[in-house]
Amino acid sequence: MMPGPMNELVEDLPSILASSVVSSSLEANHLQIEVRKDALAGMAAHMIGHCHAWLISEHAADLRERDGTFHIYVIFALPKGDGIITVMSKVDGSDPSYRSLTPDIYAANWFEREMMEGFGLLPSGHPDLRPLRLYDSWPSGVYPMRKDFDPSVPVPRVPTGYEFRHVEGEGIFEIPVGPVHAGVIEPGHFRFSVAGEPVINLEVRMGYVHKGIEKLSESLPYPRGVMLSERISGDNGFTHSLAYCQAIESIAGADVPERARYLRTAFSEMERIYNHMGDIGGIALDTAFGVGAQMAYVLRERMLSLNERITGSRFLRSVNCIGGVRKDIDMSGKRSISTELIGLKLDFDDLVGMMTEMPSLLDRVETTGMLSDDAAKNLNVVGPIARASGIDRDTRRDHPYAAYKDLSFSVPLYREGDVYARMMVKIEEVLESISLIEQAMDRMPEGQLCAKVVDVQAGRIGMSLTETHRGEAMHWVMSGEGRPWRHKVRDPSFLNWPAIEVAVMGNIVPDFPVINKSFNLSYSGNDL
Amino acid sequence: MVHDMIISSVFAVVQALAMLALSPLMIGVIRKIKAWFQGRKGASIVQPYYDMAKLFRKETVVSDQASWVFRVTPYVAIASVMVAALLVPFFTIYSLGFVGDLIVVIYLMTMFKFFMVLAGLDTGSAFGGMGSSRELMVSSIVEPTMLLAIFTMALITGTTNLSSISETLAISGIDLVRPALFLATAAFFISLLAENARVPFDNPSTHLELTMIHEAMVLEYSGRNLALMEAASWMKLMLYSVILSNVFFPWGIATDLTVLGMIGGIAAILVKVLFVAIAIAIIESGMAKMRLFRLPNLLTLSFTLALLAVTSYYIL
Repeated sequence: MMPGPMNELVEDLPSILASSVVSSSLEANHLQIEVRKDALAGMAAHMIGHCHAWLISEHAADLRERDGTFHIYVIFALPKGDGIITVMSKVDGSDPSYRSLTPDIYAANWFEREMMEGFGLLPSGHPDLRPLRLYDSWPSGVYPMRKDFDPSVPVPRVPTGYEFRHVEGEGIFEIPVGPVHAGVIEPGHFRFSVAGEPVINLEVRMGYVHKGIEKLSESLPYPRGVMLSERISGDNGFTHSLAYCQAIESIAGADVPERARYLRTAFSEMERIYNHMGDIGGIALDTAFGVGAQMAYVLRERMLSLNERITGSRFLRSVNCIGGVRKDIDMSGKRSISTELIGLKLDFDDLVGMMTEMPSLLDRVETTGMLSDDAAKNLNVVGPIARASGIDRDTRRDHPYAAYKDLSFSVPLYREGDVYARMMVKIEEVLESISLIEQAMDRMPEGQLCAKVVDVQAGRIGMSLTETHRGEAMHWVMSGEGRPWRHKVRDPSFLNWPAIEVAVMGNIVPDFPVINKSFNLSYSGNDL
Repeated sequence: MVHDMIISSVFAVVQALAMLALSPLMIGVIRKIKAWFQGRKGASIVQPYYDMAKLFRKETVVSDQASWVFRVTPYVAIASVMVAALLVPFFTIYSLGFVGDLIVVIYLMTMFKFFMVLAGLDTGSAFGGMGSSRELMVSSIVEPTMLLAIFTMALITGTTNLSSISETLAISGIDLVRPALFLATAAFFISLLAENARVPFDNPSTHLELTMIHEAMVLEYSGRNLALMEAASWMKLMLYSVILSNVFFPWGIATDLTVLGMIGGIAAILVKVLFVAIAIAIIESGMAKMRLFRLPNLLTLSFTLALLAVTSYYIL
């Protein structure tokens, strides 16, 4: 790939960091650097500040059985070229603490809270160590992600409380919303502090749909892990399972057939279209524009039935398998996809024309829920939300997988950062997706659907990034005996949830639902 | 004289009951038309009757934090709209107009609103309080607008009795039509949308608590109490539509006791109310809800229209 710049990166390290490097290796486009634990924060700050890399994930693995340490992995993506950097550090099992990255890299905040409650790794200097997902009555000192935690033994409940950020002042009220909402949506708690209608502070509390996906995955053989990954966040089951499969395939060195790559691309885009339709309809519905909402929902339904006709599953379940795909698109399937897409595009153009030319709707979405360029960068948001705030990132282009490398598409970019920009990014992405599916259909070669993957060696690391309709998802697998030793899932929503707290600030309470809808984040994907 | 009063009283009761009976139908028709615009079949137009029957059978849960205000509000609500209905001409000009005039009608409605606002605050839920404060923000501009708009009609006809306004206009026909009439109609129609929680002021079909105005106040009600609150709200919409029809465009209303006149009156009011329902449905399908803080702009506009109506009466 690009060994030059990646090697230079290690050579160019400032001497103080260079002296703390234990080892480094370069495999294809993946640079791995092991540093001493006291230099982890400095190295991470260097990657962000000097190399302008994006933080992908920060997570730990419990390897105390092997070498008596926890391993912390901080993963970055280089802004140009398909380069991934993993900075790894070992933390001794007897002293599980390290210097927090959060003071330098705000986006590390939730990752470190997650590691704190999962592994008991204490980030010193972290400003906020409240639990992220585990329920209030979880006893302290019980760390479910450690290998010596036995999930079959019930955990005693200890009554404790959760402190919300508290805003005081004359006329400041708190509005608790959720976790049970009036609509059929997932549970999450929103705590508003308001002065009249304007929101002074919003705190999002998640964790109500924590299912222990990562722990569960450690007990499931790889083929069943595919099923599990489809269920991490229901509406992007295909892209999540794709990331899982690709991670396993990269460990096994499997060669996925060309036809399967094109099919995966087509299915990913079909998933994106139906989700974006739902989001666009949701924005219309939340501004009480029912006609637009129903038009969008009809289009969404047409995509879902197309999915069912082609794969037998409305939500593209059980399509992915390790090594390729299970479902083929034959000639008649191709015909029915292209006819459906032509009709869909025409009707979608009508809808878009109506929504973008309606003053009352535009008045609601423009300047609402602004997420500034700076805030978006610091919070490290991904997906359409990032692209609406001027961050030009798209995994399909920057870290191409499946057949994206051979197809041409553009990445819509807006700078306003408001609900309107997010809506427009999604609208334009639908059109790109339609074109991508058509291109994939045209160029798809004949051939096998699935390569045999038998030998997944233990003790290796595989990682894959895919672009779900919400943004970049990461699956990181450290292989064990026939099943993952550690499986880290990073859903795009995990990075984007903190951004909603910033975007809502200064808006009025009745505008929150439409802001929330324009983000449309996954609760399940975040809570795992 | 006594004979007239008895006839008026009988008609007033019949008409009030007819309005109550037809109000769910009006809601059903609005929903049906909206569904057509959205490309859906939509529920049957009698669905609101089923909903009402269902709610009356359901258990009523009242928060233990709630005071008597919360319990008494549904009855105050239904009582105030029913009393107001007695004072409003429906298919005939006969009503209890000699007991109370338009000011009484407006303030009966305000009493309904006042108690609903208190009930919203009473349970101490965050949403109820938000709904109450928003409702009062809206109604502080709507109330004078509505009074001014109807006063315009009172000026034109020289009486504040709603029945007399209808009668005078219906009999004298085209002679009394002035620009003021249309300005006042526009102002009153905007107030009707605001008072009845319709788009662009409020969204009657939303589930989003944070955006609600009217629904937020009745969020804590259930069972029979909810049924009464819903019936009162539907009746209120009916009442405003009837006032719009009969005070601003009373032509067709039965002004005597002939059978033909009655049939004509019934047909006329049904057509007029249907027309109002269609107008509401079209507005709700064709535009998004406004931002909360833009509502005063629209409300001030309607107030200005009403003010112009009054001024133009004296100038033109």
